[in-house]
Amino acid sequence: MKVVEVNHVSKSYGTRKVVDDITFSVKEGECLGILGHNGAGKSTLVESILGLKKFEGNITLKGFDMSVHKPQLFQNVGAQLQQSAFQDKIKVIEACKERAVLYDKEINIIEKLREFNLESFQNKEVESLSGGEKQRLSIMLASLHDPDILFLDELTTGLDAVARREVWKYLSNLKKKGKSIILTSHFMDEVEALCDRILILEQGKQLIQDTVEQVIQTSPYKTMEQAYLWYMGEEELI
Amino acid sequence: MKKWMTYFKIQFVLSIRSVDGVFFGILMPLGIVGLIGLTSGNELTSGGYSLIQGSFGALITVGVCATAFMGLPLTIADYREKKILKQFFITPAKPSLLLWVNVIICALISTISAICVYLFLHFGWGFTIQGNVYLVIFSYLLTMTAMYGLGMFMASLCKTTKVANLVCTLVYFPMLLLSGASIPFEIFPTWIQTGAKILPLTIGIDLLKTTSMNLDATNVTMQVIYLAIIAIISIVGSMKLFRWE
Repeated sequence: MKVVEVNHVSKSYGTRKVVDDITFSVKEGECLGILGHNGAGKSTLVESILGLKKFEGNITLKGFDMSVHKPQLFQNVGAQLQQSAFQDKIKVIEACKERAVLYDKEINIIEKLREFNLESFQNKEVESLSGGEKQRLSIMLASLHDPDILFLDELTTGLDAVARREVWKYLSNLKKKGKSIILTSHFMDEVEALCDRILILEQGKQLIQDTVEQVIQTSPYKTMEQAYLWYMGEEELI
Repeated sequence: MKKWMTYFKIQFVLSIRSVDGVFFGILMPLGIVGLIGLTSGNELTSGGYSLIQGSFGALITVGVCATAFMGLPLTIADYREKKILKQFFITPAKPSLLLWVNVIICALISTISAICVYLFLHFGWGFTIQGNVYLVIFSYLLTMTAMYGLGMFMASLCKTTKVANLVCTLVYFPMLLLSGASIPFEIFPTWIQTGAKILPLTIGIDLLKTTSMNLDATNVTMQVIYLAIIAIISIVGSMKLFRWE
């Protein structure tokens, strides 16, 4: 069953088209990776799907239009934006409580904090956490209500190798539970580990959309990173 | 209700932690009270009443002015600039939740400020309200609603804290200085008084002075209508024009 459908979506800022006629869908339990250089339109595309930006085209989540059914849809959609932001002097536990109370589901905050190794930080102010700890908190908050669809924009930026692996494990478990994930990333090992399909963008346009295996096989290389550089015309860097 | 209570508790704790609200909303009005009390005490003015009696209505609005035109717009603009509001957008939350919770907290701080001002004047200089207490409370609540309406309007529109700072300065200081909230209105030259009379806070303070001192109530109906219109237009406008980003 398709849970995300994006049809001919375009987004312009003035005369500059940052997302140009993108079409894709994501099925239940599937993970789609959106790749591309900085400024390729990845975050704009994700924010358009989330209803944060106006766009041309059509987007539905679980068959519903986000602009019409926002409060109901966000009961089952979670999102972590590229820039994590927290209120001044707010503590970890307070940030969790503020988020948890917005959802209809009962949420065990302590259990979630434990899952992300943040339990010992619950009474610390968020601004005192390291970049990686804040990033883990952001991912935790996005998935706090166990959403059916999860959007993660540059999910592991700032995380060390161990924390990245832990996040991967967590996301793999979500996939096994039938949750759908759309992520953007600059780490190709992450894409290989998590994504079923990928969409590569270049200046807002689709360069290729296929399974990870197919994308690698179509290129003359054997790893995702090499294939990505080849698709982006950066072969001299390989 | 649980949602509102959780947000109220956390936002209230955050406002106390940041100190600004308590300082400008409660301590500053008490400082002005102390200054007026110590300099003029219960000396009678040309109007036949003491400066303390004449200034009571103005003094209880200093906290309202500080929280409505500085605290509220700056807090919301800061949330907007740091993309905190954007993060709220990607949840089932409505903008009204954050905006109203902050309005209620500001109103609570202002009310505590007004009660402290009254108690300080009462025990320090034997001040009592001569008019009908219920009418004074009504006048205070109406003035507060109109001022918070304007504060919400500013909070809804200001994109960044830089813009909010500029707008707040342009609104806050003329209101605070010219409406009689901090400097007695009567000492201004006539041309300033004439100009300042259109300021909503001046109208509110005049209404409070009339009701607290039991003065001639000829203008009260017009003042109530004026403040009610300001409150309705600004609150509806702020809800319609609220920006997440």
